[in-house]
Amino acid sequence: MQKSQNIMLELKNISKSFPAVLANDNISFAVKSGEIHALLGENGAGKSTLVKIIYGIMQPDKGEIFWQGKKVHIANPRAARALGIGMVFQHFSLFEAMSVLENIALGMDKKISNRILEKKVQQIMQKYGLLLNPKRIVSTLGVGERQRIEIVRALLVNPKLLIMDEPTSVLTPQEVEQLFLVLRQLANEGCSIIYISHKLQEIKALCDRATILRGGKVVGECNPKKETSKSMAQMMIGTSLKTIKKSKKKKFADIGLKVNNLSLKKQGDFGVSLKNISFTVRHGEILGIAGVAGNGQNELQNVLSGEIVLKDNEAIILNGVAVGKKNATERRKLGLCAVPEERYGHAAIPDFSLNDNSILTARERKNMVRAGMINIKKAQDFTKKIIANFNVMTTGHAASANSLSGGNLQKFIMGREILQAPDILVVSQPTWGVDAGAGSAIRQAIIDLALKGAAIVLISQDLDELLELCDSLAVINEGKLSKPKKVGDMSIEEIGLLMGGIHGAVPKESSSKIKVETDAASA
Amino acid sequence: MQLQLEKRLHPSRLMLFIVPIGAVIMTMVLGAIIFTILGFNGLSAVREIFLTPIINPLKWQDLAVKAAPLIIIGVGLSIGYRANVWNIGAEGQYIVGGLAATAIALITYEMSGWWILPLMAIGGIFGGMVWVFIPALLRTKLKVNEILTSLMLTYVAVNLLNYLVFGPWKSPFAFGQPQTILFNEWQTLPYIIEGTIVQAGAPIAIIIALLAWLLMSRSLFGFQIKTVGSAPNAARYGGFSENKTIWLTLLISGGLAGLAGMLEVAGPFGRMVPQFPTGYGFTAIIVAFLGRLHPIGVLFAGIILAISFVGGEVAQTTIALPNAAVGLFQALMLFLLLAGDVLVHYKIKPIRINRVDKGQMGAKKQEEII
Repeated sequence: MQKSQNIMLELKNISKSFPAVLANDNISFAVKSGEIHALLGENGAGKSTLVKIIYGIMQPDKGEIFWQGKKVHIANPRAARALGIGMVFQHFSLFEAMSVLENIALGMDKKISNRILEKKVQQIMQKYGLLLNPKRIVSTLGVGERQRIEIVRALLVNPKLLIMDEPTSVLTPQEVEQLFLVLRQLANEGCSIIYISHKLQEIKALCDRATILRGGKVVGECNPKKETSKSMAQMMIGTSLKTIKKSKKKKFADIGLKVNNLSLKKQGDFGVSLKNISFTVRHGEILGIAGVAGNGQNELQNVLSGEIVLKDNEAIILNGVAVGKKNATERRKLGLCAVPEERYGHAAIPDFSLNDNSILTARERKNMVRAGMINIKKAQDFTKKIIANFNVMTTGHAASANSLSGGNLQKFIMGREILQAPDILVVSQPTWGVDAGAGSAIRQAIIDLALKGAAIVLISQDLDELLELCDSLAVINEGKLSKPKKVGDMSIEEIGLLMGGIHGAVPKESSSKIKVETDAASA
Repeated sequence: MQLQLEKRLHPSRLMLFIVPIGAVIMTMVLGAIIFTILGFNGLSAVREIFLTPIINPLKWQDLAVKAAPLIIIGVGLSIGYRANVWNIGAEGQYIVGGLAATAIALITYEMSGWWILPLMAIGGIFGGMVWVFIPALLRTKLKVNEILTSLMLTYVAVNLLNYLVFGPWKSPFAFGQPQTILFNEWQTLPYIIEGTIVQAGAPIAIIIALLAWLLMSRSLFGFQIKTVGSAPNAARYGGFSENKTIWLTLLISGGLAGLAGMLEVAGPFGRMVPQFPTGYGFTAIIVAFLGRLHPIGVLFAGIILAISFVGGEVAQTTIALPNAAVGLFQALMLFLLLAGDVLVHYKIKPIRINRVDKGQMGAKKQEEII
């Protein structure tokens, strides 16, 4: 690898504050040319703010930016692109109804004729092996392909520095592999890359250097290749991580949740329909449902929790009772609790107190309502119990839900459902956007609940989490669920292919069984 | 320079209480200025409208009479508004409630008995509910916006009223006047304080506000309404049906508007006349917001708006202020209140405009700041 020691970008003492938070506190770091530099940190550590400053979306309150040794002021993204800085966002800004080429043309700073643009786009695609048909309409493309449009768009300006913000959160393992090939090729050509992620395996596989942020400050720098995932995680959260205890020998009791040929029509224009989903979860078992975002996970979650009521009563059976037509409250009475993915406004009401948020789901199982009136004392006692048992950092039971940090609110929500002693728990993305400390506490709570005999469905996009917690695993793709298999019987390649929508065709060479330390991209 | 509204993390609770009071005071100040510019004595206009009804004990009974329907309708509307269900057509439900009560009065004209008034009250509630049934059905079945349907039905109600009093219900003794016969003593509300014009409407309004307070603060139904209004997804997750909430809140607000209609026709009017729609149903919208959609707040807000009505009449006779002045004051108050609310929840921040290409930035600006 050709690596010159020229500094491409240097930040000196960058600070940026928002109401109530100091997002960046005196941050200094430098990116060499041709280097893949990771920005590592938990949610809220200040990574996104920092790259938004580099890309000119935000202006720092204090501090200086040097580009190839010269001090610069990056007033806006156009100025950033003029310098040779490109960025691929976590959330794409594409027009669904337009073609790939039209979308790329819309993002250009200068008008060029379609013919020249198409030629350029073709050149870039060929050079980096980014397979895309420029004539395709965006709405027909998968997430991986959409990301490629964004990458092509960023590469069109011949960037000297490319910023990638959490690029793999929506990709299958195979797509991640392809992306890494492109990034390595770019780096070899001398382009610097700032790579934001909290997936430590990926950073180990890809990056040359990592700057670790915590609470808006730089807390360390390391060579990811020489660190273990655990040591980097500890730098990230500042304390040592508890390892999750999982009993090896597990015996499952009778069936807790049975889903029979569950189908659901698309809800609204952007919904996903569910097609003939069947699975069973026994008491004590954790069934994981993997998949790329937007393949029907939310619909499945809502159908199981009772937020969407089915016409077919027999499609969902709880402990032998058909509940397809029952609503969420009735299902809760029968022992099914649920935690949806979105915390604010779905699992919790942001401007309501924690007490009121307890009433939201626990009122029946905790007898908080009598003759239509709410027993506030009971709600308070239960809320205090959640706060104490789940270490929720808050000013008290009367604090509003939106005054809690994401991780603390998630601990509260998980505590609220788990302390209702559910017989069956359906939970989506329980540790999404949660700091590592809270995340491991939540995972442990899920495992402990299963040990007590609850049947658990865990819907997650985090493969590591699923492999760590689950006994069996199924993959959802375009509303279809693969046949659940025992976790040890599935290879990463197989899961990846299922996530990409290839059912049944398991390639022969995929013999490597899952290891928790996945060598996802060491090739 | 460009201004941008930035959401406050913790809106001040104190401010939430101060804003309605501030809005009333600002209304007086701006009103005084406007009427001075228009050539009236602005200060005395404000004094007659806002102070005379409070200072002069003779006017208190007028306040009670005017405040009662505003409070009853306002409480109903505020319950719906908490659930984000926007019944704007309380005026229509008020009219139909009054018509239903009148129908019962006409049927029972030859009869006597204590049961007639309660029957008229039930009829009034039922009439209001029937009128709100249509928007509720359209909203829950076809997702038709209830703001439009409920508002437009108000004008249907006005025409229905006119048809009835000019036609089939016209009194044979009225010398061609479009009005019904005068209700008999069993069909008219009793006076509750000797020697005044205060009828049963005032205590009923207070009882309704107190009951609504209990309902909203302590009952599961109140919790459901607040949840549906604040976070519809969370409400579904909590097992609350949005459609059921829409139905119930609309029926409550329609029923209460209908009851107010009955109390008016069996009270101050004593018969049905074309002048029956006095705009209480619309003014009650201001009452609901001025009262912060809280039943007790609505109670006080109803009195404040009643002051402006009574004061308007005073100002008409004493300083010849046009009757439209009252409407102007009320509208001013609502505007100031809503503007104040925005400032409680948001702060104004100047931003520098960077020349950015709009196409790229449009989508990205929507991302959260952090």
